[in-house]
Amino acid sequence: MNYFETFAVLFLAGLIHASFQLSISMLTLLSGHAIGSKTSQARLARLTGGFVAGAVLMTTLTVAFLVYLVSSVFGKTPSPLLWAVASGFALGLAVAVWIFYYRRERGTALWVPRSFARHLSERTKATKESAEAFGLGLTSVVSESLFILAPVSIAALSIVSLPRSLQIVGLAFYVITASFSLILVYMLVGSGHRLSRIQKWRETNKRFLQFIAGSALAVLGFYLYVNHVVAATVISRGGM
Amino acid sequence: MRKVIDVVKRSGRRATERFDRDKLHASVVAACLSVRSHEGHAETTAEKVCDTVLIWLSDKPEVTSSDLRRQASKALETHHPEAAYFYNHHRVIM
Repeated sequence: MNYFETFAVLFLAGLIHASFQLSISMLTLLSGHAIGSKTSQARLARLTGGFVAGAVLMTTLTVAFLVYLVSSVFGKTPSPLLWAVASGFALGLAVAVWIFYYRRERGTALWVPRSFARHLSERTKATKESAEAFGLGLTSVVSESLFILAPVSIAALSIVSLPRSLQIVGLAFYVITASFSLILVYMLVGSGHRLSRIQKWRETNKRFLQFIAGSALAVLGFYLYVNHVVAATVISRGGM
Repeated sequence: MRKVIDVVKRSGRRATERFDRDKLHASVVAACLSVRSHEGHAETTAEKVCDTVLIWLSDKPEVTSSDLRRQASKALETHHPEAAYFYNHHRVIM
């Protein structure tokens, strides 16, 4: 892959990551409870800022860890087998996103088991300090690891193949793209937008987001499989 | 003396508790404030919602918390639709 292709893959993987909604749901709840309990605007900004910082840090750490793991174990050029695993994972998760990312009920209830969702919801309600909000941000990324693992592992494999000097740029590019939706909600809440409008938009467009996220994962998985697995096999057999 | 009404909690997981007007009032105020209503407007709306719910409760010795929430939401819908949406949906955000 040339640099343009690598960054295009990072961009698409980042957008897929950004379309996952658990962190956004938690941020919406956190803001709702903070505003509802007459929290000042400055304190609200600290709480939501802490949450976003936690989510961004955990995303960065997850990608950096996978980059380190892949480069230490498999070297700078990931094998076609690794790409096959990552693209297969993306294709499988694409189907999972289409089928059960959102529950078939009103609102934006996600796939998360109800008891765990209740726990996260209670924790979010009880959050009063920005340090707690930071921890909650970290947790939100871990809680959605089942779905974000596909785009994150594709990003890690793409970053590994970049020269060392560009790896940090690639990492930052992915993290910014992946956190874009969360940062957008943070800015909307901070600028005084009504949560009900944000939530209504999310509810109205949830099926579209679900379809787009699943389709983009399928397209990305298929592209990577053809580009890194099929092409490598054909070349190694002297077919091209 | 105020009539005692028992509220059966969701799915029966938690113990039944007495109906508390202040608790209902606080939850409606919080929903109104969450959608950036002014405090005065939130208080007035909550008063109206509580009055409507109390009328509905007048002939009932026991209600479920879901029914209570549904009635409050219905009353809130007429006074503040946006807050009603948030009040109604806060359990299904995640």
